[in-house]
Amino acid sequence: MFNIRKRRAAAAAAALTASAALVLTGCAGGGSEEAGATYDPDEKVTLNLAFWGNDVRAALYDEAITAFNEEYPNITVNSSFLGFPEFWEKRQTEAAGGGLPDVMQFDYSYLRQYSENGLLLDLEPYLGNIIDTEPLSENILQIGVVGGETTGIPTSTNAWGMYTNPKLLEQVGVEEFGGGSWEDYDDWMKEVTDAAAAAGVELWGGTDYTGRIQNFEIQQRAKGEDLFTDEGEPNFTEEDLAEFWEQADTIRTDGTVIGQQRLEEVYPLSGFDAALTASELTWDNFGAGYLGNLGESYTELGLVEPPVTEEGAQDLYLKPSMLHSIASTTEHPEAAATLVNFLVNSPEAGAAFGTNRGLPASETMLEGAELDPLGQQIADYEASIQDRLGDAPPVPIVGYGTLEEKFRLIGQELGYGTLTVDEAVDQFFGEMDVVLNQ
Amino acid sequence: MSTETESIVTAEAGSRSMRRGMRELRRAEGGGKVPASAGRRAHGRRETLAGYGFLVPWLIGFLGLTVGPMIYSLYLAFTRYNLFTEPEWVGFDNFVRMFTDDPNYMQSVQITLVYVLVGTPIKLAAALGIALLLNYRNKGSGFFRSSFYAPSLIGASVSVAIVWRAMFSTNGPVDSSLSLFGIELGGWVGNVALVLPMMILLAVWQFGAPMVIFLAGLKQVPAELYEAAEVDGAGPMRKFWSVTIPMLSPVIFFNLLLETINAFQVFASAFIISNGSGGPAGMTNFYTVYLYKRGFADLQMGYAAAMAWVLVIVVAIIAFILFKTQKSWVHYAGENR
Amino acid sequence: MSTTTDVPRAEFAEIATNAGPPRRRRMKRSSVNTIIWFVVLLAFTAIVLYPLVWLLFSTFKPSSEFGQNPGLIPDNPTIENYIKVAEGIGGTPLWQFFANSLFIAVMAVIGTIISSALAAYAFARIRFKGVGVLFAAMIGTLLLPFHVIIIPQYIMFNKLELVDTYWPLILPKFLATEAFFVFLIVQFIRNIPRDMDEAARIDGAGHIRIFFSIIVPLIKPALITSAIFTFIWTWNDFLGPLLYVNSPEKYPLPIALRLYNDATSTSDYGATVAVSFLALLPILIFFIVFQRFLVAGVATQGLKG
Repeated sequence: MFNIRKRRAAAAAAALTASAALVLTGCAGGGSEEAGATYDPDEKVTLNLAFWGNDVRAALYDEAITAFNEEYPNITVNSSFLGFPEFWEKRQTEAAGGGLPDVMQFDYSYLRQYSENGLLLDLEPYLGNIIDTEPLSENILQIGVVGGETTGIPTSTNAWGMYTNPKLLEQVGVEEFGGGSWEDYDDWMKEVTDAAAAAGVELWGGTDYTGRIQNFEIQQRAKGEDLFTDEGEPNFTEEDLAEFWEQADTIRTDGTVIGQQRLEEVYPLSGFDAALTASELTWDNFGAGYLGNLGESYTELGLVEPPVTEEGAQDLYLKPSMLHSIASTTEHPEAAATLVNFLVNSPEAGAAFGTNRGLPASETMLEGAELDPLGQQIADYEASIQDRLGDAPPVPIVGYGTLEEKFRLIGQELGYGTLTVDEAVDQFFGEMDVVLNQ
Repeated sequence: MSTETESIVTAEAGSRSMRRGMRELRRAEGGGKVPASAGRRAHGRRETLAGYGFLVPWLIGFLGLTVGPMIYSLYLAFTRYNLFTEPEWVGFDNFVRMFTDDPNYMQSVQITLVYVLVGTPIKLAAALGIALLLNYRNKGSGFFRSSFYAPSLIGASVSVAIVWRAMFSTNGPVDSSLSLFGIELGGWVGNVALVLPMMILLAVWQFGAPMVIFLAGLKQVPAELYEAAEVDGAGPMRKFWSVTIPMLSPVIFFNLLLETINAFQVFASAFIISNGSGGPAGMTNFYTVYLYKRGFADLQMGYAAAMAWVLVIVVAIIAFILFKTQKSWVHYAGENR
Repeated sequence: MSTTTDVPRAEFAEIATNAGPPRRRRMKRSSVNTIIWFVVLLAFTAIVLYPLVWLLFSTFKPSSEFGQNPGLIPDNPTIENYIKVAEGIGGTPLWQFFANSLFIAVMAVIGTIISSALAAYAFARIRFKGVGVLFAAMIGTLLLPFHVIIIPQYIMFNKLELVDTYWPLILPKFLATEAFFVFLIVQFIRNIPRDMDEAARIDGAGHIRIFFSIIVPLIKPALITSAIFTFIWTWNDFLGPLLYVNSPEKYPLPIALRLYNDATSTSDYGATVAVSFLALLPILIFFIVFQRFLVAGVATQGLKG
């Protein structure tokens, strides 16, 4: 808490200094070296911009950059893009060998690692002047703060939710999940699975939710505890984890959830993508992907709250679906910040991206965005869970990605029955030991 | 490889008589002014000069691009290194963890060994068998050669993953074909017991490279040898064992060595088919897949480097043994033994 | 020499030594053998080619059918995938990726052939101090998984400011860093009887002349094999270009076709398979054209006796 206040004060101070500088440069007729935090629009600059995504997103970036160049014709933006894993593989190599691109689309799970190693520029001097902070709420800005430095600005947010498939539910004659506890959810899934079996349809109620670390996280948060402390220490015990995995013993063994073997066959699609399950707990920005993968015969999805662990608990939170960061090695920090501001705040960027990068976090960008029905549904969803939204957990620890993947693989093995819960807990804590002692 | 030097020395012995003849010739011409030893020394210098001259490009590449990185990785094997901060010396910690405290490592070693020991012989047998078949008659050989090589053309792209998964999924072609024979295995893709065989079959399917090398080797077998064997009354089997196999042995040796090394380093196919996860249940988590995950996904470069060097040592021992055995079964026509 | 004809040697020998009356019966049996041979090969071919045919057919499936329809025939055939692919990716036309791949692959072939053949000759035919150690070192480079030397190599090329050029992809090929090919050619040279170069040496020929006028013609099959492999492997290489090429307009095909897949949003499998099928065609043609020269090696061998 203290931390936040301190940072806020710092931000205010910075904003003050910056505006003072603006006034000063205004008086001096511009061109002052000390100003630092402004971009001289006559300066010819070339920036490298890297993002992950597919060809569709690349076209949207092109559109946004074209709009950017109408305003800033002297900044040439060379963009490059790759799929998610390749994007990070390349960044890791560049981080080790030097040569990160000026502006990057960034992922939350890598933010701490790159920040703590001084690879990302502290954006503090640009906040409130080049980068407009007005349209961004404080808790959104707070997300990109590591160790007191703002190294990323969220483009958009997402929240944990549950997608359902209305068409399949109608087919087997089961009502939408009406909320309730995890046991209620288990029962509902069983109802779907049984109804599907009776109707001769290959369909399950859902996927074993204990394979996802986020479900463990929200159950822990319901108890008032984040997975990791501010200092990056684990905040759960072996018993907590064992209990979590054991709660799905029944649905795993009685065939309520889709079997691991079937899931593996459709991988990298999920069971939900392949119309094999009627529900899936996931981030709410996955909707467009689901619709795309389900094919043209599916036009709408259900999006409801995840099961409740503890009535009234603030177990959910808003997470940046992605951020924009600047490499600390950039030669043109002002121009780079100008580009970041445009990509994060401008209505033009909103118009270009819509909800492709998640629900726009900035009000001005959101205004520019024309929401499709799904986008509107997500916006409505995030508004509806307001009461369950708590503070975001601390920026993920270094190596969180490793743990998340380990969690998923262990979930798989539990599904196959190649690991017992005790062995699984052992393995996970062993892995965590290694990760924390890096 | 001391065997290498040995075989070269033996070969030298073979041609020594001829060179002695040359020296005598020269001495006769030049009046024997140059002592034999000086001549040999001059000759040795010339040879050394020529040798290194031919090796210049390779030496530059070797010293510039390979040796440095290799030594660096050896150093990293004894450090903890996350790519971002300076490597930190930890002695043998990485190796200790590997062998005592990492169940995934042990599983990875196991499945890799099965993959090498089962997959390589099958692949080589398939490659040699088809190469012999192709070499038997010449009709439509271009078509057949191209067809058998075609699977290897596609490499390890996303498409291979899509195709192979479809082939082995429930009610996919493999499942359906086996059902015809009353074998009901279901889909292989998600079956923990059948994923490894599936990966082995993928390797066997892409047998084009060793096949082409076998074919090129078969083309090198002089027809006279078959004629001679024929005159001696040898049947097809005799010809195969006493002409084809010995004459092909350098190529067999090459393929055996290289395919073994490659199998130990199997990466791309498993990585792409499992989408980088090594799943299901770690059954495609081959040695280099795991190494890669540790190095680039988990940023434990020191551990990854240590894993790499354990692999190097194991494969080097196997290569050494293979080189040792070649004396007894590999026949080089250019090195009369 | 009679072996210069394309008669397979086993058969040739059979005919040659069995002149006279039994010959017709022999021929008959031989043609029965040919038919059996043909049928067996055809069966193998069908099995081996089926997955590729499946790939071809799947290029006509809409993306949503992937993972749901493992059969050969698309439920809803469409040429949408090809139309989409023809548009290029992110403003770069499709032919550009082909051109990039072609350029890299051709340079790689030239570099590999020249540098590997030179090195192989030294290892196989010249006796000089240190050859044994160097040969062992060369084999040693085969053993190290390439992943661990990626980082140091990247640092080096980055310092040389060669990132985002093709040099890091091509230069190593001119320096024979692919020990596979050096070793392959060594094996072939060592299998060539020495009488010819010894004779040339008596005539006063140096290593350079022996190499170019005697060895190179004799190892043509090995060189062609190396050329084919280099071309195909470079064409399919993913990691090298991923690390060293930044600008999308410089991407070769293997990277381009990944751009249709993004695990965090949708993956267009239809476009992916369509591009990979198109990417397959040039190397298939390359192989079909050059595999003939593998056979041509027979003629040179025949002259030698």
